[in-house]
Amino acid sequence: MDDDKTPRLPRRMTRSSASSSASSSNIVAAVNPKPLTINDLLVGGHLISLDDIISSFPGRNSQILEIVRLLGPLNSPMLPLFVYGGSSTGKTSIILQLFRHLNRPIVYSSCRTCYNQSILFESILNQLLLHRKNASNGYSNAKRCERLSDFVNFLREALTKVINNLKEKSEKLISNKVTQGKIGNMIYLVFDNFQLVREWDKSSTILPLLFNLYDLLKMPEVGLIFISSTSPDTFYSNMGYVEPIPVYFPDYTEGDIRQILLRNQVNKKLYSSFLDVALKSFYGITKQVGDLSAALKPLYEKYCEPLSDKGKGVAPNENMKQRLLSHIKPYIASSLNEIFKVSSLSSTEVDTHKEEKRKGNPRRLEKSEEPGSLDFHMSTSAKYLLISAFLASRNPATLDASLFDSKGGCDNRKRKRKPSEKAQERKETLEQEILMKGPGTFPLERLLAIFQCLVSVAEEPSDDEEQISDGLGVEVGNGGLMSDVHLQLSSLCNANFIFKGRSCPIEGSNRYRTTISEDLALKVARSLKFPLSKYLYRILQEETAHGLSIQKTLKFMGLKHGRIGKSPVE
Amino acid sequence: MEQENHKIKAVNLLRSRICDPKFIFKNDSADSNYSKLKFMVSSSVTEACNNSVLLLGPRGSGKNEVLELVIQDLLQEYPDSISLIRLNGLLHSDDISAFKEIARQLCMEHQLLFSKAASFDDNSQFMVAMLKECGLAHKTVIFVLDEFDLFAQGKQRLLYSLLDAMQSITSQAVVLGISCRLDADQLLEKRVRSRFSHRKLLFLPPSIEDSQKLLMHVLTLPIDSSFPYDYAVEFNRKIQNIIEDKRFKATLNKYLNVDSSVKHLLRFLFCAASHMDLQTGFLSQENIELSFSSIQRQPKLECLRNCSSLELKILFCMKRLEVKEQSLCNFNAIMKEYKTLPQPDDYSKNVCLRAFEHLIHRELICFTDNRGQNLSVEFRPVKLLISSAELHQGLRANNSCPRYRKVQACRISLPTFTSLADKCHQRLFASSLTTPSNPHNFISSMNKRLRFQDVIDNHKIQREEANKCVRTCPLPLPTIPFTSYIAHPSIPTVSSRS
Repeated sequence: MDDDKTPRLPRRMTRSSASSSASSSNIVAAVNPKPLTINDLLVGGHLISLDDIISSFPGRNSQILEIVRLLGPLNSPMLPLFVYGGSSTGKTSIILQLFRHLNRPIVYSSCRTCYNQSILFESILNQLLLHRKNASNGYSNAKRCERLSDFVNFLREALTKVINNLKEKSEKLISNKVTQGKIGNMIYLVFDNFQLVREWDKSSTILPLLFNLYDLLKMPEVGLIFISSTSPDTFYSNMGYVEPIPVYFPDYTEGDIRQILLRNQVNKKLYSSFLDVALKSFYGITKQVGDLSAALKPLYEKYCEPLSDKGKGVAPNENMKQRLLSHIKPYIASSLNEIFKVSSLSSTEVDTHKEEKRKGNPRRLEKSEEPGSLDFHMSTSAKYLLISAFLASRNPATLDASLFDSKGGCDNRKRKRKPSEKAQERKETLEQEILMKGPGTFPLERLLAIFQCLVSVAEEPSDDEEQISDGLGVEVGNGGLMSDVHLQLSSLCNANFIFKGRSCPIEGSNRYRTTISEDLALKVARSLKFPLSKYLYRILQEETAHGLSIQKTLKFMGLKHGRIGKSPVE
Repeated sequence: MEQENHKIKAVNLLRSRICDPKFIFKNDSADSNYSKLKFMVSSSVTEACNNSVLLLGPRGSGKNEVLELVIQDLLQEYPDSISLIRLNGLLHSDDISAFKEIARQLCMEHQLLFSKAASFDDNSQFMVAMLKECGLAHKTVIFVLDEFDLFAQGKQRLLYSLLDAMQSITSQAVVLGISCRLDADQLLEKRVRSRFSHRKLLFLPPSIEDSQKLLMHVLTLPIDSSFPYDYAVEFNRKIQNIIEDKRFKATLNKYLNVDSSVKHLLRFLFCAASHMDLQTGFLSQENIELSFSSIQRQPKLECLRNCSSLELKILFCMKRLEVKEQSLCNFNAIMKEYKTLPQPDDYSKNVCLRAFEHLIHRELICFTDNRGQNLSVEFRPVKLLISSAELHQGLRANNSCPRYRKVQACRISLPTFTSLADKCHQRLFASSLTTPSNPHNFISSMNKRLRFQDVIDNHKIQREEANKCVRTCPLPLPTIPFTSYIAHPSIPTVSSRS
């Protein structure tokens, strides 16, 4: 009984607060290594009423009530549940809060933090066996289980122990006539982020096992809850299983989102008038609360700018609303396209996006920034190598000869001889397809050949002007640029600019591919003052508006920086 | 307080009944599987002979539960002459771990010391020796092999040594295999099959009448001292009313048409029992309907309903590409198509890319191959995971893009047709197609804007027969009658997905 009354730190809270509480509970564990009791399987924190939960999750009323009904009254057995719905719809936090309300023991394990089967199993068993990793046991697990059969055996043992423990406890409570603090005989296993299991190594065996776990254990006191962001029909299995009971969390409606966004605002009236203006257009793009709140935050600051106290305490009237509306209107459209500024894409793509954003508002770009500045450092030869890799990926191999034959530069004669209308059309569709299919692969030899051409072309024109200043330097530079190409290539590969494919079974050698975007390539080329567009197959053929603009910039740059190569306008 | 208590007790009783296989599957009639199996196993226990039986039936038909009942009965009747070994194909499908598990359970049973380090050979020799010893002691070893078909993968060494050991007169063992593959015995190798007894017990899903009996059996409260008399009688009367209601019968039939196994029915019952209103304490018609709708989900449609309008537009563009039968469908191609839409919004490319990624997370679309991991997202080819009918409904449900309604109206996809063809017992289509079993032909003829009459004339089938077939099979789009599909002037299209 004493255990019940000693103050406990919440062992588990919602996902957001988990990080903050983790450190403090660790300290407590080190200071006070008291053995864990069955009470530690409860969700920590003081009891919370159902009404509180419902009011703290707007728009989730029916889901909360449905889960409560399915979990049932104390000591009633349960078939497995499958809770699903898109990300950030409140699945995990509602389940955890409900167990806090019900005050029943759960074993929670997320398949994201337990990223393979043995870690998942060990985490479940650690919690069930009330085992805490610490220095005295060398941070070891309670049980080691590699095989599925071991896991099921251990799990059955541990569960029987826990359930007997719970039964004893509740009998004691009944004999003492205590009506409060009942935790019942049931134990619930919660698997969060269940969709990730599909990508694990042995998913074909572990998925049917987990779905059939209820039938396998044959313990009515065990409740299973699967939380997944994808629907049950995405869990294909050739084994088949009795489907768990589905509980669906739909995405929030516009009204719900409004309520959620309004919750933590200081000036609710002002924010609400802001949402009237802004929310609708953003809601058309995405319905995820996280994305929306991140996107709306800077816009709201903009919205409050004209107000004296940044909108802390003003109640808006019609007049002011109009004024603020006219103030914010031009920003909405531009911020719509910046809605996903924080992107989780790879570094090269982030670069691309930055570049694209600059492309988006060219007027500002010209004024504020020097065009084509790279925000990372790269050696000259690596830049040339990257450009040649880009060309090799983009251009068809058959055109190399015509592009690079006599000292570089495009073959103007070829363009003058007009092919027939049909052939041109066919060519155009072909090249568009190439562009859509993405970069192609190329062997090392081709890359080196192009690289050599580029380096020789790039250094030639400087003969005229820079010969006097550092004639010696050119020769050295030539040798310098060509040296260590393989080293440069491997470092580019490591930086994910160039990908090394598997070796081709027919040709035997490795094939490479670069996935950098055209914008990045142009940027690199500009920093070298290298006329990249001349060597691009697409721009040679169709002079789209985009191509023209690039040529114009190049022409402009050519005038500014002296003659570099042969400008395409010649 | 007392009132509340017996209501909660009623819910608890129903729920524990549903979760208790003993209550559901106990059936003492002579021709039930339970009696047959019990007879077979108990006779081999009493007569000290070897036996092997396969229990076959679809998942959720109660094979395991019936077996469990039989074993519990036998353990009570002959507590000293049975030792039980349980294996599961999911856990012990490889021979090494299977023998290890057998040795472990044998050691547990006979209070022997189990060595974890024992090799495969040691374990298999131990098993054979134990079988012999048990035979001498007149003790029957019952092997229960759950997911039997998984043991038939690989070299089947376990099955061979088990069944081979049973050929000698000294041993006394029963092998019970459980599988949801009806052809499980065909998976066995020749040397194993010849040693198998070929006894099979088939577990069929119950008929509609049996299901209704089961419903009554589960849902009625006992009229004894455990509940107040009035409450129990009233409760049972309401249940009786609901079950005899015509509407309920129709819904139940529809539900059981999908899967008529016992477990499937129990899922529904569980939902209904937990939806029971604790205020009144009775199961009502509304509770039943609510639980039907909550258990029969249409995940793809729900997912489509969640899509923002930008995401729907991307899906729509993908569908257009599919209709145009373009070979390549990746993000760039979709963007090109997106630009051709009437009244395009000026979202930038990365916003669209993010929406595209959302669609991938929602699993409405997926990459066609896992190759080309190093290719960036916009170049990797993708495919739709929804049918055009679903997309059509999704677009219709979304208020924000009404202008695509007309474009999308009345397209028939190949999957719709194949399911149609299956359900019509292939009568309509087998006769309507010039080359049977090829729905392509039929649809391509419709592509040439043939009207229904022309189709019938061309393929020489009776209009009545066609209409009848159409009426008997439910279309995925039941609101639109089949004939209006065909007579519709817009061009139906063939989707290349299969």
